[in-house]
Amino acid sequence: MAIVERPLALPEGDLPEIENPLGAFSRPHKETGIKDWLTTVDHKKIGIMYGTASIFFMMIGGVAALLIRIQLATPDSNFLSADAYNQLYTMHGTVMIFLVVMPIGAAFANYLLPLQVGARDVAFPRINAFSFWCFFLGGLMLNTSWFLGGGPDGGWFNYAPNNGVAYSPSNGIDFWNVGLLITGIASLSGAINLITTVLNMRAPGMDLMKMPIFVWMTLVTQFLLLFAIPIITTAQVLLLMDRLFGANFFNVEQGADPLLWQHLFWIFGHPEVYLMILPAFGIVSEVIPAFARKPIFGYPFMVFSGVAIGFMGFGVWAHHMFVPGMGPLSVSAFAVATMFIAVPTGVKILNWVATLWGGKLILNTAMLFSIGLITQFTVGGLSGVSHALAPSDTQQTDTYYIVAHFHYVLFGGALFGFMAGFYFWWPKAFGYILNEAWGKWNFWVMVVGFNLTFGPMHILGLQGMPRRIHTYDAAMGFNLWNLVATIGSMILAVGVLLFVVNALVSLRDWKNAGRPNPGPDPWDARTIEWSIQSPAPEHNFDYDPQIVSVDDWWYQKYAEDETGRLRKVAHGADIAQPGNGEGVHLPAPSYWPILLAASLPLLGYGLIFSLWLTIPGGFLLVVSMFGWALEPADDLDLAHDHDDHDDHDDHDDQDDHESIVETASAEDTALVGDAPSPGDTA
Amino acid sequence: MSVSLTPTTSLTPTTKIRKGRNFVRRLPLGPTGALASLALLVSACAEDKPLNTFEPRGPKAQGIYDLMTPIWIIMIVVFVVVVGGTLVLTVIGRVKPEDYDENDLPKQVHGHTVAELAWTIAPAILLAGVSFPMVSAIWDLERDNKPGELDVMVIGQQWYWEYRYDVDGDGFFEDVDGDGELYGIEGDGDQDDKEWPLNLALDDDDLSVPNQLVIPAGQQVDLTLTSRDVVHSFWIPRLNGKRDTVPGRLTFWSIDADKPGEYNGACGEFCGLSHARMRMSVVALPEAEFDQWLKNQMSLSEVPEEPAQGQDPSPERAGYEVFASQCARCHVVNNSDSALQELYPKDFEADLLSGAAPDLTKFATRSVFAGAIFSQYSGIDPDDDNLDVTNYLQLAGTERLNEALLTRWIKNAPEEKAMYPEGRRGMPAFPGLSDTDVENLVAYLATLD
Repeated sequence: MAIVERPLALPEGDLPEIENPLGAFSRPHKETGIKDWLTTVDHKKIGIMYGTASIFFMMIGGVAALLIRIQLATPDSNFLSADAYNQLYTMHGTVMIFLVVMPIGAAFANYLLPLQVGARDVAFPRINAFSFWCFFLGGLMLNTSWFLGGGPDGGWFNYAPNNGVAYSPSNGIDFWNVGLLITGIASLSGAINLITTVLNMRAPGMDLMKMPIFVWMTLVTQFLLLFAIPIITTAQVLLLMDRLFGANFFNVEQGADPLLWQHLFWIFGHPEVYLMILPAFGIVSEVIPAFARKPIFGYPFMVFSGVAIGFMGFGVWAHHMFVPGMGPLSVSAFAVATMFIAVPTGVKILNWVATLWGGKLILNTAMLFSIGLITQFTVGGLSGVSHALAPSDTQQTDTYYIVAHFHYVLFGGALFGFMAGFYFWWPKAFGYILNEAWGKWNFWVMVVGFNLTFGPMHILGLQGMPRRIHTYDAAMGFNLWNLVATIGSMILAVGVLLFVVNALVSLRDWKNAGRPNPGPDPWDARTIEWSIQSPAPEHNFDYDPQIVSVDDWWYQKYAEDETGRLRKVAHGADIAQPGNGEGVHLPAPSYWPILLAASLPLLGYGLIFSLWLTIPGGFLLVVSMFGWALEPADDLDLAHDHDDHDDHDDHDDQDDHESIVETASAEDTALVGDAPSPGDTA
Repeated sequence: MSVSLTPTTSLTPTTKIRKGRNFVRRLPLGPTGALASLALLVSACAEDKPLNTFEPRGPKAQGIYDLMTPIWIIMIVVFVVVVGGTLVLTVIGRVKPEDYDENDLPKQVHGHTVAELAWTIAPAILLAGVSFPMVSAIWDLERDNKPGELDVMVIGQQWYWEYRYDVDGDGFFEDVDGDGELYGIEGDGDQDDKEWPLNLALDDDDLSVPNQLVIPAGQQVDLTLTSRDVVHSFWIPRLNGKRDTVPGRLTFWSIDADKPGEYNGACGEFCGLSHARMRMSVVALPEAEFDQWLKNQMSLSEVPEEPAQGQDPSPERAGYEVFASQCARCHVVNNSDSALQELYPKDFEADLLSGAAPDLTKFATRSVFAGAIFSQYSGIDPDDDNLDVTNYLQLAGTERLNEALLTRWIKNAPEEKAMYPEGRRGMPAFPGLSDTDVENLVAYLATLD
């Protein structure tokens, strides 16, 4: 085959006129309101949608958690039936892992990653939108199981053969399969997108070892997703075949081995744990230096320990399987490997502590949540060591000790880190600072509620309370600490709600105060997302930032004087990019990501209820793929000039173009974290 | 429902029921050491906490406990240093917003390679040190099958445990003449020919006991574990850690009780609807008592006599007939009792997914039923010191049977314990049985000692 060389550049002169093949195959115009959100390919809007959807799902998972805690508050309780309890605990775990912690990580990755590497968007903006809609619609589909015959009841780990039709005859586990297959597509396509973005789209001068640690941790996370998700996908397809088409992958009567599922699940499941925590590690690695006023201690160690965790995370899965009888050699190997993963994790903790050491700590809400992560994750890490020791694990596995352990890691760790991230980057995303007084209430109520809920579970577990039981006898002696945990969970729920309240109160106060702009760099922070205006302009950067060092933005503002001490040489507001974005070319929105994503749940319902339903689903799938492929590269009715659309776009973020300049000096007061929000309530 | 049934417990009289009294008062009040607090918190009122993992009562559990003792101390030291250090640094490094001067930055330390290498290598060495005793402990926990030790097969199914004793010592827990391939104690039967569910027809010379595992105290009992349906996990915290029972596989484990007593357990792996209601009761007896128990178990329960011509049958006989017509569809008495067979010829294969319902031979000798969640006895004063395991067999009998609870159970078992009889998992309700029928049935069951 002859190789035809084509010039990469666009042809000179006027662009050839492209006709719209069909009306539907044109790109949507810059829209406003709901249609804008449905068709957007802007990574920032997609990031915000990830965050909003995650918080929506968190309410579902949280209500499930509270119902579980009410049931367990007293012995022999009849508040929930065993069946309802099993559905609730299964969905609590599934929702919180797949639809809350993972996508909040994706929210931060989407919003921040292009901003931190100095890019205009992710590498594949339409795929990015497709990822979000797959996640959201797949998650919604999973939750429709509540109304369509009952939720899945096999646990989030869903062990074979209890996940077979004989033992779980409702459609719940089918919803679990299909819903998570769809969100898996979201994770996979998102991973490839973000990896490409990091590797190919960094600003000039940004070597890998000059990337912010959040970018590093997100990159490791995306590689973990890339290699872990296909394994759960495989397992779920096998299970789907078993359940819907009578295959025998997990049918013991036909000679299947139930440990196959356990291995497949945990080869995915353990990297999963690390890919949930690493984005939070990245977040606090940005927040702590910003408010300790000194650089992260040991940047290379922080990076390589994160990478090491990523690699080792794939070699420890069978520590979830110390009791099914793998044999002492396998158990020993995995136990030793598991203990050693504590080493890079410990390095991270000690480096954060060393960053705090000698710092001038500004204890605002973001910083408090970061310190909450350090301390609470340490507890979770230590309890992890205690059941890395396999003999000890035979007493601890499947007890509440494990429940305590992973909630300290994932709630006390990951979610506290995400809360820090919300408080830290909120002004960058929304143009107003969250109220500090409400924020401190938010933090302290959460800390008290969290430790009161999950601290006692250590004791319960060591006293022998098994997990996943819908009730217990009074004579087992679990009454007191269960009641304490239930009270704690109510306090914790209030704490989480305070965050939502804070977001609304701060928004109201900000509007009442005439929408003051926090300026590009309200925290006097370190990385280049603070070198652009707040909220981040649609096109991110007016021009490519030139990166010289780690924490490049910091060193644009601070330089050493003759004594070698750092001195402020410029104010962020003065040297930030103005956000005018002349002549910027942005990807046009598209209908097809959401339509393509919508075809997948349709196919899923078809698999579960009637194969006839797959016809419209398949039709939509094919049409959407062709539409995606054939739609023009741009909205033909729009010139490429960014400013052109201002006159038919009255969206909020345009309102502030003038006010940015006026209020940029708000920076200094905001730096210390006491946002000038009128009407502090506490 | 079950709330009104007071003895919703698998505790026999030996385990005194104290329902958490004095618990709060026993919490450490002064600033005692963190380890003491933890140990106290966990083991406070240990007798109230039959599943406590900090109260080893046998060498296996003791081995785990001993391995962990130094680990707990290390963990607490690390916790205090790291968390305490973080909080101290936070407090001393704190700058009030009004005192903050952006030109008076703290010392800009970018790292310290030696320190970082130190806190990478030091924990690695510490963990390497820990891994030696750990690996040794892993091997110690593996079952080392010595001749002369009691061999028991543990079979999990939704939602109770069956225990099979290789009484005739032929090395098999099943009827050697049955169809299909067999599993020996070592699990070395021909795996290729295996049929599933296991061909577990009981050998007449062996013994099957549901719900309550009776063992001789002071010696190791070797367990061979499997499951008839889903994965379960066998766990007696005071005697050893847990080991899963996996359908299609055999796993091996052992338990060992230093002293006579009752040791409770709970299924450790989620096994469906009534996972919470799948428990274990292990009774360790002095050796002589155990032999007596075994002898009794191996004898047949009496069949109530047929009434003389023209006379009404005794309640026990009437109950026997109800049993034959209703219960024998799933339950076995006297291992394929020929009298039962004559009365109602049936294949004794339970109409259940797992293929097995509890064997009710010697029903009245056990102190628990329904997956070891209910006490079979009533009217027992838990503080009566005369009632301990050495009286185990004497406890059995009509006068102590918890008739009220048993009656409720027979009438509507799913009401007392979540089950799924319509999916052939668990015991159905019997609305068709009259009160007299159930009364007679209970009378018959009481004779099974």
